[in-house]
Amino acid sequence: MISKEKLEDYASKLMFRMEDSEYETLQEEFEVILKQMDLIGKIPNISDVEPMTFPFVTYKAKLREDVINNTLTTEEALANAKQVDRNQVRVPKVVE
Amino acid sequence: MDILKLNIDDIREKLDSNEVSSQDLFDASLDMAHKYQDEYNAFVTIMDKKEESDGKSILRGIPYALKDNFSTKGILTTASSNILKDYVPVFDSTVYTKLKESGAVLMGKTVLDELAMGGTGTTGHTGVVRNPWNKDRLIGGSSAGSACAVALGIVPFAIGSDTGDSIRKPAAFGGVVGFKPTYGRISRYGLFAFASSLDHVGCFTRCVRDAAYVTDVLKGQDEKDMTSLEDDGKVYASLIDNDVKGRKLFYIKEACDIENYKDSNDDELLETLKKFHENLDKIRSLGIVVEGVSFDKELLNAIYPAYMTISCAEATSNNANLTGILFGPRAEGSSINDIMFNARTQGFSELIKRRFILGSYILQKENQEKLFLNAGRVRRLIVNKMNDLFKEYDGLIMPSSGGIAPLFGTKSDQLSDRYLILENHLAIGNFGGFPSISLPSGFVNDMPISINITGRVMEDDVVLNMANKIESVMGYKNIVAKVGEKDV
Repeated sequence: MISKEKLEDYASKLMFRMEDSEYETLQEEFEVILKQMDLIGKIPNISDVEPMTFPFVTYKAKLREDVINNTLTTEEALANAKQVDRNQVRVPKVVE
Repeated sequence: MDILKLNIDDIREKLDSNEVSSQDLFDASLDMAHKYQDEYNAFVTIMDKKEESDGKSILRGIPYALKDNFSTKGILTTASSNILKDYVPVFDSTVYTKLKESGAVLMGKTVLDELAMGGTGTTGHTGVVRNPWNKDRLIGGSSAGSACAVALGIVPFAIGSDTGDSIRKPAAFGGVVGFKPTYGRISRYGLFAFASSLDHVGCFTRCVRDAAYVTDVLKGQDEKDMTSLEDDGKVYASLIDNDVKGRKLFYIKEACDIENYKDSNDDELLETLKKFHENLDKIRSLGIVVEGVSFDKELLNAIYPAYMTISCAEATSNNANLTGILFGPRAEGSSINDIMFNARTQGFSELIKRRFILGSYILQKENQEKLFLNAGRVRRLIVNKMNDLFKEYDGLIMPSSGGIAPLFGTKSDQLSDRYLILENHLAIGNFGGFPSISLPSGFVNDMPISINITGRVMEDDVVLNMANKIESVMGYKNIVAKVGEKDV
């Protein structure tokens, strides 16, 4: 079984905390998921296959011209920030 | 007259003959949305003012609902998550822009599983979405509210997104049509990303022709989405009546042959499969050849784990921007790190945290080869197998699900064939970007069941054409859950 310490480490890297009871549910879920994942490993010669990262490659990607557009105004960029000061997002002091 | 329960052609006729106005339809749609909101919870936001547009398309003046993970400038867009509960976008998604330009009228933003990660419609921050055919049952997700709104007859069409089956499964459980076209056919600009290599935009309607109308409006290349496809120049609605005689479909024998389940006492599954085969006979009457083919069982069993692996890994990085600093509720904290920790701890539900941890586990250096890369390899093997079969067949036909919408709280055996294959095979359409449509095919225990047709990439027109003809022989076109309840 995957240890709670490992799961806490992953949560910490993802920048959130979980309750003890939530870790218990997660450990149970991991048991099933890891069994499901084992089904992938049962496929013969799987390691010889090139991993697929995109549905298909038969189209031409269109890149727009390199001209400035869609620029947000300062007001728009700050519209959803909760703490704003002199046209900047306010956060706690970073350098002591 | 229940005008909102009609199909788009009939609503168009009533608008054009001035039997009803667009404002009447909008008001009636809002009335119904409010009337059903407490009971079914389809909406995060119900609009209060009709937007004016001089669009000229067939959709002009017709109300529709939009999943709440598409950006709408000045209109709350939450992705049904507490971490975005007060987020008001400053730009429009291309889908919303195109619908506005077409003259269609946004009447509400619909509930989804939080951040589109889930298949039950039970994890949105405003509560569970209920199935209009039976309130004790879920409608599925993640595009739960969009499916619900169309099934209730509040709107004739709604927009969703589909990463594993998030349009087609709730469509199946709600007795409506759900279509996701080829990957990139519709721009994803302004859609909150879940798993970028699997995310598709699509629609819910009550007949296949309407899905063609909506897709005709939405499709086309978008310079704001470099993965969007060059337009194919086709008008799908004009091609859906083409003759389908001689078309060939296959189904997967390992998943669909009833004798594979002879020891099962799962009556719902057996009845669903029996009806599936009865429908295949009706489809053959159109001159379509339908044959069972074998598909490696090991590959079939690997669809769901490969989907979970790829989607959770991609989601973990896609959602790293949700910090509560630039947008979202600002948490308390004495440092930036504390603020982000607290915002993410308070903002994500337990399910989302579990999915992210799974994604993080998959992406750890020591697990990448065994999990992340192997999932990508499975994806290629499945897509290659499908493309081989598509050399002989025009499409895959399958039950959209092994049964009807589950009761709330039902737990499945997640290692069973039914769960791993019949409940999750629709992800094949996302792995390969194949166009894929689910449409109502009958009832089991008074709940709708559905079939799915998945075709070759770029052949959206062929898939819609076959689905339209098949719909005509199955007899479940334009069904609504709330028959007889007047809206106008």
